[in-house]
Amino acid sequence: MTKYPRIVERNGKRYFFRFSLHQRLQHVVLFSTVILLSFTGFPLKYHNQPWAEPIYNFFGGINAAPTIHRIAGSALLALFVYHTIYWMYLFYTRRVLRLKKEGRLTLANIGREFLAQEMVPNKKDFFDLIDLFKYLLYFTNRPPRYDRMSWKEKFDYYAPYWGIPILGPAGFILWWRDEFSHVLPGIAMNAMYIMHTDEALLAALFLFFVHWYNVHYSPEKFPLGTVFITGYLTEADMIHEHYAEYVRTMTEEGLQAEIRPPHPWGLETNDA
Amino acid sequence: MDRACFKIRVMVLCATLLLCCLAAAANAEDELNCVLCHKHRGLSRIDENGNFRLFYINEALFEEGPHVRVKCVDCHRDISKIPHDPATKVDCTAECHLTEPSGQKKFSHKPVSDLLARSVHGKVDADGNAKKNEQDYPGCKDCHEEPLYRPLSFFKGKSFGVSERGISRCRTCHRTGKFAESFYKHVTSRLQKMRKPEEIVGICAKCHGDRDFQQRHKLDDVVTSYKETFHWKAIRFGSEETPDCMDCHVVKGESVHFIEGKDSPTAASNKRNVAATCRTSECHAKAGEGLAGFQVHVTYDREKYPLQHYMLKFFTALLAGVMYFFLTLIILELLRRLFPNFAFRKSPVDDHRSPD
Repeated sequence: MTKYPRIVERNGKRYFFRFSLHQRLQHVVLFSTVILLSFTGFPLKYHNQPWAEPIYNFFGGINAAPTIHRIAGSALLALFVYHTIYWMYLFYTRRVLRLKKEGRLTLANIGREFLAQEMVPNKKDFFDLIDLFKYLLYFTNRPPRYDRMSWKEKFDYYAPYWGIPILGPAGFILWWRDEFSHVLPGIAMNAMYIMHTDEALLAALFLFFVHWYNVHYSPEKFPLGTVFITGYLTEADMIHEHYAEYVRTMTEEGLQAEIRPPHPWGLETNDA
Repeated sequence: MDRACFKIRVMVLCATLLLCCLAAAANAEDELNCVLCHKHRGLSRIDENGNFRLFYINEALFEEGPHVRVKCVDCHRDISKIPHDPATKVDCTAECHLTEPSGQKKFSHKPVSDLLARSVHGKVDADGNAKKNEQDYPGCKDCHEEPLYRPLSFFKGKSFGVSERGISRCRTCHRTGKFAESFYKHVTSRLQKMRKPEEIVGICAKCHGDRDFQQRHKLDDVVTSYKETFHWKAIRFGSEETPDCMDCHVVKGESVHFIEGKDSPTAASNKRNVAATCRTSECHAKAGEGLAGFQVHVTYDREKYPLQHYMLKFFTALLAGVMYFFLTLIILELLRRLFPNFAFRKSPVDDHRSPD
């Protein structure tokens, strides 16, 4: 596995490692399939809207768009399976094997290690959320200091991780409706239809408003956050979004003396 | 009257007569030369009920329809002189001067009318009594305007229109008049739907999409519910392969005019027949019996469609919950940026090198 330096310095600026090339490629497949699925799906849901037909026709109209939708859907479902295998592999090699080597391989320890994974929600997330509201509602001037993954990023992660298993199989059953009708009652197709279309709306609204606000639209990121391309986050962003991790990384890299103080939102930008 | 004036009048009269003859020659079936007047786009009047009536006939369109070989007076029988009095309504069940080739009888639409009378759309019930709200039940012209052919070409792949290479084979023998073209259009138009599916849904929606009509007949809004299905959405975007109303409500092999209500044991939409209706060779041929349980006309009514009703509520609540929460958060964050140091309580100075 490629070893990425935790801090890279370019032109006198520090950049902090977030995502490996492998993870970024998974994200490319995720967002390109989701965008394609949205463009070939929502014109059907909102077929009466004036924008529906031009968009649908751009993607080949009724003779091609459904095929594009199905190919993109299959790719997204495959990515879901691949990603599940990926984190299970990481969990096994990085945590289970280490326990084995240390002779502490018990079910309880495996459970503890499972919960200690960086994407699993924990107590700190809960308190961070409370701290965030204290900050937003002017009870304090101290925003929460997020670690490697903030509760927002975990939510962003679980949105597709819960969305795909709902949307994907439902779409798959509607695609192969004739075959599935031998084992499923017809009303199951009605249920699949609602699941597919309404969950898709939730996913799209969340991704294109909330997720894109977090990573692209917010004032210090606009017009484009680049971490999904470079894999590295600027120092200002690290201070904004992952102060706990920032302090830890700087300390572990022997740069404790150069740790900059946290700053409330709006006071510093990426150019700082 | 001086001679010059008389000469001019004679010349005008001759020219008018010549024009009339030419016009008459253009359409041999128009014996009374009706288009002499009816070709004018503005030919109209307000009738005794105050309705605007347009009497213009677009010859180019008329020639694309099945009635091009029928004489005007075959349908408008009460007209025998020109100019004529207000004409009576056309009776589609009357015999016309065409001979139906298979039985060598005078042609009439009466068999169609008889089928319609026996169908769910008939004006009288099985005992011969007039149905309640009789005026709501359709006659021929409620669904049919002057029809147009939709010829097909199968020469080197399917496409719309008359195949010149195909029809040239007919014209080798059938040379007189427009017989070959008319026959070609007659046959190939019926190898597909004479009207586009979108048009058919529109015709049914004229009544079934009307709220007052639905209430009078205690019917669900079947048009809106149908338009939520993929069947309609594909049609909306130009497909003719997914079913319109007729495809599911007419028994395969039966006339489209004989639609029965779902309570009739022989109706296409009767519970026992739905599976067969869905599994026709053009549609879900490989489907199992289960597909028949798919509900096409879902209104999300709590009593009739509880599963869909509660699922929709769940997803709406989920959507509203997630989006309101996060959008509120975004607005609060943006506001917080404007006044970063305005907290009620100032926090003690902390060691910024601490991660927590």
